[in-house]
Amino acid sequence: MTNFLQLCFAGLALGALYALVALGFVVIYKATGVINFAQGGLVLLGAYLTYNFRQTWGLPFFLCIPLAMIACALVGAAVERFVLRWMVGQPAFAVIMVTIGLLFVIEQIVTGVWGFDRLNMGDPWGIRAVELGDVVVAVKDIWTVVFAAAVMLAFFLFFRYSNLGVAMRATAFDQEAAIAQGISARRIFALSWAIAGAVATLAGVMLASGGGGVRPDIQYIALLAFPAIILGGLDSPAGAVVGGIIIGLTQTLTAGYQPTHFPELGTGFSAVMPYFVMIVILMVRPYGLFGTKEVRRV
Amino acid sequence: MKRRNLLRLFAVLFTLGLVAAGCGGGDDDDGAGSGDNGELTAAPGFDPVTKEIHLGIISPLTGPVAAIGKPLTAGNEVWFKYINEEKGGIAGEYKVVLHLEDSQYVPQNAVQAYNKIKNDVVMFAQLLGTPSTNAVLPQLKADNIVASPASLDAEWVREPNLLPIGGPYQIQMINAADWLLEEGNGEGKTMCTMIQDDVYGQAGQQGVEFAAKELGFTVKSTARFKAGTPDLTAQVQQLKTAGCQVVFLVSTPTDTGTALGVAARTQFAPQWIGQSPSYIGALASSPLGPYLAANFYVAGEGTEWGDMSVPGMRDMLDRLQAYQPNQPPDYYFAFGYNQANAVTQVLEKAVELGDLSRAGIKKAMEEVGTLTFAGLSGDYKYGTVAEREPPRTSTIFKINPAKPIGIETVKYNFTSDAAKKFEFEAD
Amino acid sequence: MRLRNLNMTLDYADDLKLFRSRQSKASLVALLALGLLLPVIVPDDFWLSVLVYAGIYAIGAIGLNLLTGFTGQVSLGHAFFVAAGSYTAVILGTQHGQPLLVWLPAAAVVGGIIGAIVGPFALRLRGNYLAVISLGLVFLGQHIANNWDSVTGGPGGTTVIAPVKLGPFDFAALELGGRSYTRYQSFFWLTWGLVALALIVSKNIVRSRPGRAMQAVRDRDVAAEVIGVSLARYKVGAFVISSALAAVCGALFGAFQLFVEPDSFGLFLSIQFIAMIIVGGVGTLFGSVIGAVFVGAVPQLVSRYSDSIPFIAQGAGGEGLTVFQLNQIIFGLLIVLFLVLEPRGLAAVWLRLKAYFRAWPFSY
Repeated sequence: MTNFLQLCFAGLALGALYALVALGFVVIYKATGVINFAQGGLVLLGAYLTYNFRQTWGLPFFLCIPLAMIACALVGAAVERFVLRWMVGQPAFAVIMVTIGLLFVIEQIVTGVWGFDRLNMGDPWGIRAVELGDVVVAVKDIWTVVFAAAVMLAFFLFFRYSNLGVAMRATAFDQEAAIAQGISARRIFALSWAIAGAVATLAGVMLASGGGGVRPDIQYIALLAFPAIILGGLDSPAGAVVGGIIIGLTQTLTAGYQPTHFPELGTGFSAVMPYFVMIVILMVRPYGLFGTKEVRRV
Repeated sequence: MKRRNLLRLFAVLFTLGLVAAGCGGGDDDDGAGSGDNGELTAAPGFDPVTKEIHLGIISPLTGPVAAIGKPLTAGNEVWFKYINEEKGGIAGEYKVVLHLEDSQYVPQNAVQAYNKIKNDVVMFAQLLGTPSTNAVLPQLKADNIVASPASLDAEWVREPNLLPIGGPYQIQMINAADWLLEEGNGEGKTMCTMIQDDVYGQAGQQGVEFAAKELGFTVKSTARFKAGTPDLTAQVQQLKTAGCQVVFLVSTPTDTGTALGVAARTQFAPQWIGQSPSYIGALASSPLGPYLAANFYVAGEGTEWGDMSVPGMRDMLDRLQAYQPNQPPDYYFAFGYNQANAVTQVLEKAVELGDLSRAGIKKAMEEVGTLTFAGLSGDYKYGTVAEREPPRTSTIFKINPAKPIGIETVKYNFTSDAAKKFEFEAD
Repeated sequence: MRLRNLNMTLDYADDLKLFRSRQSKASLVALLALGLLLPVIVPDDFWLSVLVYAGIYAIGAIGLNLLTGFTGQVSLGHAFFVAAGSYTAVILGTQHGQPLLVWLPAAAVVGGIIGAIVGPFALRLRGNYLAVISLGLVFLGQHIANNWDSVTGGPGGTTVIAPVKLGPFDFAALELGGRSYTRYQSFFWLTWGLVALALIVSKNIVRSRPGRAMQAVRDRDVAAEVIGVSLARYKVGAFVISSALAAVCGALFGAFQLFVEPDSFGLFLSIQFIAMIIVGGVGTLFGSVIGAVFVGAVPQLVSRYSDSIPFIAQGAGGEGLTVFQLNQIIFGLLIVLFLVLEPRGLAAVWLRLKAYFRAWPFSY
């Protein structure tokens, strides 16, 4: 039982990370209809920027995070302005490939500047843990869950009550009608990329803290988050969070029980389990659990 | 009619092509030869006029494994600079020129890099990584070229085209287990392994299992993981649930960090013993430092950095200071340095035998005798492939963040009885 | 009649032709001659190996272009089918010692069958969702490859010793007219011969009824269905052909490289194929080949001449970008720039150049 609870909490923390990454995907998809494969690059950039502010410039950690979020948001907006804007109206496939191309460029710029070595984030959590009954919970994992919850709340309030948020929803719903209402679609597009950059930074920081270290590998979290967004539906923020947590739990529980109970599925099955779940779900519901069904017109 | 014209044209061209092809093909001899009376003749990668010996290096200089490849290659470079500057070159007259290729630890890239420079080099002074070596090996055999692998797999011992140095991974783990039971307070504890799910991990596992049989303990649980997995909670949890008190870890530094991070955060503190490539100096200075100092040992070779009682260490630090002062202390640097030393010993033998051709290098390897490393690595006896005898010595280190690469010798250069019994099988 | 030689379609029959003009025939002949002579003119192992890899990739790229460029089905899963071909070559070639004429067609058949199994997924999913699910296929494929040790050798990979003998010709070391040729020269002829074959087969598909049906599906699948094109037949059919070609590519890849490992068939390989068709030209067969050569050769050129490029690290301790990093950046920029500036790829650039010189000295 302790084992199960321990795994569940680990799954929840991992799921919260996926949710943070997935929210970045969703906000861009919702506003612009683009699946952003460069999200992993933004995660990477955010983590390294935080490292730079913290370790190279020696700023206080909790100041570094918002600074890096702002910087990464600016990068996101710039990418939209100077690259993606040219792709408006192009087929989905072409836009996906542009973001993949961007991922390669961002990745190499980051490793070119900061190298391949594991760097210490300098976060205050380190390897500290607290005991809740029999279950040992890392302080860093608690913060991850807190951040994910805070971001989700912020998303909810933003889309519900702020003018910009409502404008974004309107643009996502019907671009032409929104423009006719005087909403600047350009501003909305740039804003969605900026938000994605900021959220990605948080994901990157949480991945690299707690002794894990800042390293180029952390970008792969974005590939692992795909099943989460597909599961939740590409355009649903709530779906992203639910999908993230389901995938996180599935993955950790699979890793915990499959090697002893179903060894015939092979080592490392937990890493592909999310994709397995994703394929099955898509066969049943082609637009995810919470996604909007596309209307096909001839 | 039209179609027939076209066909006729193709036929003509095809014949033309064959004729021209006939003129260009068939360069069979590789230009190598042995001198009659000590006079060295030209061979691929060796020019008797310029007196330069060209050597290839295939190493990951970018990517996650660059943390190993870069210092290791720097070790090669410093040694050869020392040979060129202070000794006047191989055998006092042939300068070494290195050709560096970046494999990114991807076998396919290693194969392409190999093809790119194989005709420009006498041999390969470094070929890093078990998968890359496996990938290049069939071609090494076909081309009859020698390469020195920068990995410690037991299979390399009996490969005629490879020039390995150091005690194989199996030996490290056997000696580590022996030390643990004899002196490391490991008697009666629950033993487990955590291994990377590939050939490299398998080598360590084989060593532990051999030791288990010889020394009479059982491996209670084995957690496997794929290199580069971002989250190892479940694997660590598996070991924790099994009640492991000792864990033999076969990984590379990135995964070591991930695994120990999870272990530390969930307050799982067994005695970890890592195979040499699982550790890197940066780990000691990370937030994990105190955890490692309390719970982690490394099974490796040679001595701790800066141990002036070992003559080889003194020389190495002098040469490092002279030729690459900005290189931070690093375990892999020492490996690369020793490797280049081994290559030099073989090349000098080849010069002595008067043949720097590919076949000549292989012959030199058989006749070079025992390679020695001034206390930095165990003696390696060469001869015919069946006669090769790798060192069976290991050194156990503990983690001390105050030391240059964070490691401090616990037991220096010993050979356990179990390690003496391990057989290296021919392929 | 003179007009026929210009780039102008006068009637329906013109659209169906294999060669549209005398010039295209002549240039084809010139290309063939070049292909036959090149290994002899440039007998350098390194350059030949670059070109052999490019040829092998070209076969896979032609397959992907049929699927994505002509039928509009986005797939990030091409690497999965390439892996299927490689491992077919391992089972039949290495483990059972079957000849080239068995393992190569068998790879195509295995690839085709797997394509037929995967294809129906595309009937239910479209666009972005299809792209992501095909991504899942790559990860599942790698998982199988990592665990099916008896064939794949597990994560450490396996050597591939597939015989490449075709009748009296042994492409491991060709002997012709009393002359012996290196492995690289021989493989060059084998590979590019197969590229030519793949091109002819694909061209014949594209210029006939199935090809037009595929393009109708690409342009608007619902509309195509309404006018009587069977979506099931052509979408799945495109998957079958495309994955058969991918598998042939994989089998050759293994046979040439003599070694494959599961990591060779990752997402990066799929992305490379997509980059090839983007750079070469989506929806043009010839573009797939140009793209494969371009994407395959540029990194090698950069690496060969890295000494003379500024800001590139020399030696292990050097400062600056490594050659690999520079290449990755070039790769990323190539994709972005082509899609933004010339979405129809090098093939379109070539057509424009040709049209310009044909009408010379008039500017249009």
